[in-house]
Formats: sequence, C-alpha cells, structure tokens
Amino acid sequence: MAYDPKLIRNFSIVAHIDHGKSTLADQLLLQSGAITQREFREQMLDDMDLERERGITIKARAVSIHYTLDNKTYELNLIDTPGHVDFHYEVSRSLAACEGAILLVDATQGVQAQTVANAYLAIGSDLAIVPALNKIDVQTARPDEIREEIQATLGIDPAEVLSVSGKTGQGVPELFRALIERIPPPKGKSDAPLRALIFDSKFDDYQGVVTYIRVVDGSIRVGQKIRLMAQGSEHEVTALGRFRPREVACDDLGMGEVGYVVANIKKLSDVKIGDTITDAAKPATEPLPGYAEPAQVVFCGLFPASHNQFEDLRTALQKLSLNDSSFTYEPETSDALGFGFRCGFLGMLHMEIVQQRLERESNLSLVQTAPNVTYEIVTVKGETLHISNPTRIPDPGFIEEFREPIAKVDFILPAESIGAIMQLCEDRRGTYLKTEYITPTRAILSYELPLAEMIYDLYDKLKSMTRGYGTMDYELLGYRVGDLCRLDILVAGSKVDALSVVVHRAQADRRGRKLVKKLRQEIDRHQFEVAIQAAIGSRVIARETISALRKNVTAKCYGGDITRKRKLLEKQKEGKKRMKQVGNVEISQDAFLSILDSGEE
Amino acid sequence: MPVVVAHADDGRRIDSQSQNSRNPFYRGRRLITIITSDDVKLGDHPKHVYIHIPFCYHKCGYCDFASLAGVDHLADRYLTALDREISTSVERRSVSTIFVGGGTPTRLSAIQLERLLDVIRRAFDLASGGEFTVEANPGTLDREKVEVLAAGGVNRISLGAQSFQKSSLKVLERDHEPDEVIRAVEWIAPRFPRWSIDLIFGVPGSTLSMWTDDLDRTLALGPSHLSCYGLVYEKGTPLWKSRREGLVSELNEDLERAMYETTIDRLAEAGLEMYEISNYARQGHESLHNLAYWANASYYGFGVGAARYVNGVRSVNTRDIMAYLNRIEAGGDATGPSETLDAESRARETAVLMLRRIKLGIDRAEFALRTGFDLDRLVGSKFEKHRRNRLVDDDGLRVRLTREGIFLADTVLADIV
Repeated sequence: MAYDPKLIRNFSIVAHIDHGKSTLADQLLLQSGAITQREFREQMLDDMDLERERGITIKARAVSIHYTLDNKTYELNLIDTPGHVDFHYEVSRSLAACEGAILLVDATQGVQAQTVANAYLAIGSDLAIVPALNKIDVQTARPDEIREEIQATLGIDPAEVLSVSGKTGQGVPELFRALIERIPPPKGKSDAPLRALIFDSKFDDYQGVVTYIRVVDGSIRVGQKIRLMAQGSEHEVTALGRFRPREVACDDLGMGEVGYVVANIKKLSDVKIGDTITDAAKPATEPLPGYAEPAQVVFCGLFPASHNQFEDLRTALQKLSLNDSSFTYEPETSDALGFGFRCGFLGMLHMEIVQQRLERESNLSLVQTAPNVTYEIVTVKGETLHISNPTRIPDPGFIEEFREPIAKVDFILPAESIGAIMQLCEDRRGTYLKTEYITPTRAILSYELPLAEMIYDLYDKLKSMTRGYGTMDYELLGYRVGDLCRLDILVAGSKVDALSVVVHRAQADRRGRKLVKKLRQEIDRHQFEVAIQAAIGSRVIARETISALRKNVTAKCYGGDITRKRKLLEKQKEGKKRMKQVGNVEISQDAFLSILDSGEE
Repeated sequence: MPVVVAHADDGRRIDSQSQNSRNPFYRGRRLITIITSDDVKLGDHPKHVYIHIPFCYHKCGYCDFASLAGVDHLADRYLTALDREISTSVERRSVSTIFVGGGTPTRLSAIQLERLLDVIRRAFDLASGGEFTVEANPGTLDREKVEVLAAGGVNRISLGAQSFQKSSLKVLERDHEPDEVIRAVEWIAPRFPRWSIDLIFGVPGSTLSMWTDDLDRTLALGPSHLSCYGLVYEKGTPLWKSRREGLVSELNEDLERAMYETTIDRLAEAGLEMYEISNYARQGHESLHNLAYWANASYYGFGVGAARYVNGVRSVNTRDIMAYLNRIEAGGDATGPSETLDAESRARETAVLMLRRIKLGIDRAEFALRTGFDLDRLVGSKFEKHRRNRLVDDDGLRVRLTREGIFLADTVLADIV
C-alpha cells in the first residue's frame, strides 16, 4: 500500500566534509527506532572501506524512517548525498529527489566552501532549508558567531538555526519537528502516468542492478513494464522495496515515496543517474528535467607494467565498472608504454579512488600517465575536436583555435592567506573575480582558473598555504580560447608520447626547463649518456643530459656475503618492475608522474 | 677426484682425464671450468672449509666483519670452542680448500696459532693439490708465526696491506706502517709457494697517482695474486658514519673508474690477469677456495659469525662472541639465521656468482650440471639485452662479462638474480 503523501517528507543533509553528516544520520535512525543503540555505530551509512578511510560519503544512499509527532506517523526519507566536489552531478540529482534539506554546519569550524556550494545547490533546487549547527556539545563550539557567518554568507535568519549534536542526540527531537513542519509534503500527481527519478544505483551480485528512485508522479508496482526514458530501454519490475535501513520488499511505491527497483538489468552502465522511469504501456509525455550524461573531466592513461597483463587490466576495469559507471575506459596504444587504457574520471579524487581499487582488487602493477583535461580544438579545416589525450593533439600548423576548460573556483579561507592564494592563482593563469568577507577574518575568494591548472595539486597547496583552514569548491564554466601548445619530451632523441603535456605558450620555456631537470633526476643513469629534451613542434626549448653510469659493481662477494648481496640485487630487480623500456632507455613510474610536478616550487 | 671439463678454443670438448687434472685450474691456451665432482649435488659433503678468527688489535673503520678488539684474553677459550664446534659437527674427512680468515688470525700468539692448526689438521685431511690459506696482517706477523704457519701445513698467505699511503692507512684506520708490509713479504715469500696481497682503492682523499704508486710498490714485491677492492661504505661502520656526517666524502665515479681500469691494465702487464671482479693472479695461482664460492659450491664455516652452505641451507653463526662461546660450551650449536632457497632461486644465485668470474663466466654445461636448469631458458632473454648493449659476451659455450660489463656488473646481475 502506498503511503499517504501528506505524511511523507523527503530530505537530504548537505554539509562540508567532516561536519558530522553521517553521525547525525545515524542519530536520526536511532531516535526514530530504525536501529537499536547497539547498531548505532559511527558512519553507519558509509559501507565501503575506502570511504571509511577517507571519512567521506561517496555513493548516495537512502533510508526510510517512521516518526510519530502529535499522533501522526510520518514517513521520512533521508537521501544521503556524496560530500565531495567531484560528485556535483550526483549531488544535484539526490537533491532533486527531495523537498527539503538540513544544512548542517560544524559549530566549531563554521561555514566552509562546500557548505556554501551545497547550500546554493539546495536553494537553487527550491528546497526548504532547515539549518542546524552540529557538535553543539563540544567545548569549542561558537554557536553565536557561526550563526552570524551563516547569515552573512547565505542570508539565513539566525533565529531559524537549530542546535544539535549527532553524537549525544541533543536537539534531535526539535530537528524532527522542524523537518516535519518546515518541509512541504511531495506535490506530485498520484493519478498521472508514472514518473520516477533515478538518483543512484548499485550492483548486486544476486539481483543485478538495484536502482534507487523517487516516485514523482503516479506509482510503481511489481510486475509493471517500465521504460527508462533517456536510455530508451524497457524492463519488467521484479522487486520493489524501501530501506529501513535494510532492504524491505513491498508490492508498490506510491507518489512521493523513495525506494529501490530491481528489474533484471545486468549492467550498471544501462542505468543512468538522472534518468526518468515511466510506464511502458502508458508513458509520460515529458521526462523529469535535469538529466545529463556524467561528465568526465580528468583523464589519464593506465598501462600494465608488464606487456602481458593487458587482458588482466581489461578484466579488472570491467569488473570495477560494475560498481562505478561514472568512469570511462577505452583502449589506447602508446609508442612508449604499449597497450593500455585511457580512463576518464569525474575528478582527481575519483581518479585516485578508482586507481587504488584497481591495484587493491586485482593485484596489478600499473603505470599511470599524468592526468589531463579535455581540450577543444578547431582545426584549420573548421572541424571541432574534443581531445583528452595530449598525444592526439595535432601539430601547431593544423590548429586554428585551441580551447581549454575553465572553472570558477571559490576559496573560503582565513583573511591572512588571501595574498598567498591570489599569488598562486595568478601563477596558474587565474582571472580574479571577487573577494567577499564573511567575517573580518574569513573571506570567500573567487577566481576563474583553467581546469588543467587545478586538477593536480591545487587542493593540497591550498591546504598547506592556509594551514588546513582553507576550503574550495569549483564548477565548470565551459571552454575558452587559450594560447596553448603541446610540449613534447624527447628521451635519447625519440619522442615519448606518454610524456607530452599541454602548456600555455608564455609558460612553455619555464615548464620545459623544469620538466627536463626533473626528469634528469627521475630517470636512472644508463651505460650511455641520455639526452632529455623539451620541444614544441620541432623547436627544442630545453635540454639536460643524464651522464653515463660508469661504475656499478659490488667489490666483495665471498661466502659470508652471498645472501646479503643477493638480497640487494633482488631489491634492485624489484625496482625495475615498474620500469618501462622506451627505446633503450628505462623510465620509471615516478618519471611519468613527475611531469605534473613542474609548477612552482 | 676432480673432474675437469675443458673446451678448446674451437669449442671442441676435451677429454678431462687426458689433461693434467692434478691442478684443477688447468693452464694453457684453453679455457677451462673446474668441477669438483663430489660436491656438485645438493647433499654432497662440502669440500671447502672456512674458519673465522675474530681477534684484532683494533677494528678498522671500514670493517663490517665479526671482528673484535680488546678481547684477546678469550683466545684460548675460543680455540677450545672452535675445536668442539668442528669435532661435534663433522667427522674427519678430506677437503680441497681451507681458509682461515678474520678478524686477524695472526693476532693469535705463535702458540695459539700452532694449536689452531693442530685443531684443523685433526679434523680435516687436505687433499693432494689442496689449498690452505691463512690471512695475515703486516702489523701482527713475526718470523716465528710465519714458521708456525709453514710448518703447520699452510701453503698460501693472504696479506692485508690495503695501501702504502700513510694518509690512506689513516683514513682506513689501519694499525700498520707501509714498511711493515715489505718486511712481512720478506718473511713470507721464501716459505710459501703462493701468497697474495689485499689492496683497497677509492679511499677518500686518494688520487690516481697515489693508487698507481700503491700498485707499483705492490708489484715490486712480486706477488702471484692480488685482491684489489673498490672501497665499500658498509652500513653501520665508522667510515659510513663519517661519510654521513660529511667528514669524508666518496671519490667521484670517474676517478674510481679510472683507478679500477688502471688496476686491470697495470696488473695484466705484470702478468696478473683479472679472474674475478676484484681478483688478479698469475695463471695457476688463483684462489681455489674463493673460486668455490663463485661456483656456488657448498662449504663449511666455523667460528663466530662464520657462514656455511651445507645441504642447500645457508646459515650463519651468531656474531656475538659471548653467545658463541656459551652456546658451544653448553653443548649446543651457534647457528643464527638460515635460509633455504628453492631450486630456481638457487640456480639464479649460481648464475650471479658465476658471472663474477671474468675468465670462466657461466659455462652452460657446468651450470646445467650444478643447478639442473638450462641457462638460456632461465635467463636467456636478459642476456640477450645485455649482449646487445655489449655488457656480456656469449661464445655459445659460456656467457662472460665484457670489459665494460665488469664496471657495470650489478646492472647485469640485478636482471638475472
């Protein structure tokens, strides 16, 4: 039986990383009786090891709880959102499934970059905002000050801001009341053709793809033939259910409800987040708004360290894509590295996670090329190309216009760090937009930056330059023409395609010099001299020479030395495993990554 | 009875029994591999014995052996323990080489030396043509000890000169004067058919001309065997610490290489051919004991810190002299860490050791006989690369380091280990 829509509330919690979202979610489950005290454990909604290590929620989850207020029992659906900037689109789809959001701010740390970014997303999605200060039980909490910050940055009346503690449960009953009173019930049409929003999916070994949905109009029932509108595929519903928080099967889900659908779908990539489910026999005329293909913004090449592991790598990537459909991979051939794959990711964090999983779960040694972004190139013939592999960028003579992706970046940081971060952004070809002060000591600094300049280490730099107090968020604005060129690296006279990078022409000489210097340190000496050159087209702009190895021999090896000397040799051998032979030069994994590290010192 | 597998220059196999198999290192224009037939297989009794004497007047700054200064009062007790360790672990048998190293064996008094030789003679019977070496230090040797050694069956002396430069001896913390080497040779030369001198090059502060002077002065003494080591900064030694603290600095690589090249050339001119990475000899004067190590043959080891390789197990005695004494005196053994390799790792280790032999290299037949592995199937592709890079030579019968390969031996060895 479908639940009375008037008694349903759908909401998310939006917060900056580490502001205690998961603990509060657990507390809501505990106080509504969905879990017992025994089950109340930290970070209950995060169930992947990697996420736990990083303390962030990567995949959205949903949970239905019942809460009784003034003799009425409400169904409250909490839809968890990913907490990282790489997963913007997923966050937006989770919010689209809600009518309201708890805006959670750490009472000790105050407003941070993702507090602002996520709050704007929620406000932009027309959600009712229930602001709350968390960790109110902590001694260093500064509730009054932070209320002022929230007012200054988001224009929220301090009187509306609740005080809670996810840890102790203090203030949670008041929070439940506010959720029920301030968030409107769903406003769909129960008798209209089915429209349900897909906001997440996961792969289950037994059921295949489990799709997370919010029913917007109509209802869905077991046995129904459904159509995925963007995908254009049709399936039969074999199971439905709600999360309480474990899966509890039911026969139907009514208007406004949140739950899961199993429909005999084999591949995660067949279900697109943001797509609309409708009835196959009586389809809706319009899908729900806001669907987009997930956009990969960071790319890198992944190659097996030994040539014969190409198929193993393919199998590993296939396996991983069962659980994560947001990264892409396609075969790539490099003169230097042989057969491998070019992979696309939602962001740097996403790339790191995928790579760690690959190595952890498949026991492969991988050589990774430096990450890069997608460029848009207009050729002299008038064609527009999108290129995410620097090797494929045509020679300068064929390029009419070279465009790169630009992002708007907001930093929230202590006022005394503004100068340093501005200098950093200037060095990285940033365009200053504005500075706004939240309080006299904290400010929002906004810049437009080429995405390529920020993908690698901007976040780390920000953290170290602000001693951990700075945060950032970005959104992509689109492509813009830049004075760019491809910088090639030649090792011992031959071009190493995997070392090519795209640079701004004004910085080319400096980058080229730095790069060859760095490579000189990273490439082992050989029995001959090895020249390392940086070139644009056919023009060499920098050169370094690695001197020949003249002596590498163990003087003594008698009876008592044999074991130790053999172990030393074995260590050297181990170090060679991640080497790639390019011509007659061996290049280490570190060398391939060193090209990232050629910015400022 | 040693079997000699010989190949003529044209690759034809020569019947071993028709050759002079008395001296296993066959002289002549042909290349020869020695195989001591009775210790080729795992489980055969070792034919080689190493005995360690840890006592020193002073521990040199570069030394990382089990050596001790200031415990000479333990020498008699040590000899008793050594006797006990040997007699309880092996029955009297015939061996082809014995090597007494240290520390400083000649730090023992003449009487103690006599006792040591007696212990050894009672335990082992040196085969005819066998080699019995004792290491000697110029500062602790005297005429009486020389007589004791000669009378006790020792037929080869290895004299640790290291350098004739006062400045280098000081950096190395050696306790003898250059002249004492000359005096020691005057005593040794008439009494022993074979003797060798150890030298070290690449000492901080030394120059190429100082090293050439060392070589000239050494050659003037007429040795038939020389060991010349590039200085190694072994981790934990005082010299290693000095380098870490910036008190001494390594010579630059080009200079070290020039010293090494000069050594090879000068000694070859003088008739001492390089036969291992750090060893040079007139033909027939090669160290048989050390050749056994580089053939990966098995050997016994006795005394504190001594290594042994018996039945395919490598093990090493404790380096702590009190622990050694107490354990042996309590009727136990003094074995510390041990290691047993699988067949393939053992074969690879054999290849690594054999390739150190400049003239012999890795002989395919000998390798197959010793390890049961086909060399080409095991590491052939690696050699192919290094052959193209001219670091190794392959005449079909054996693989050897080229002249350039000698200087970059570890680059090759790290691939085949």
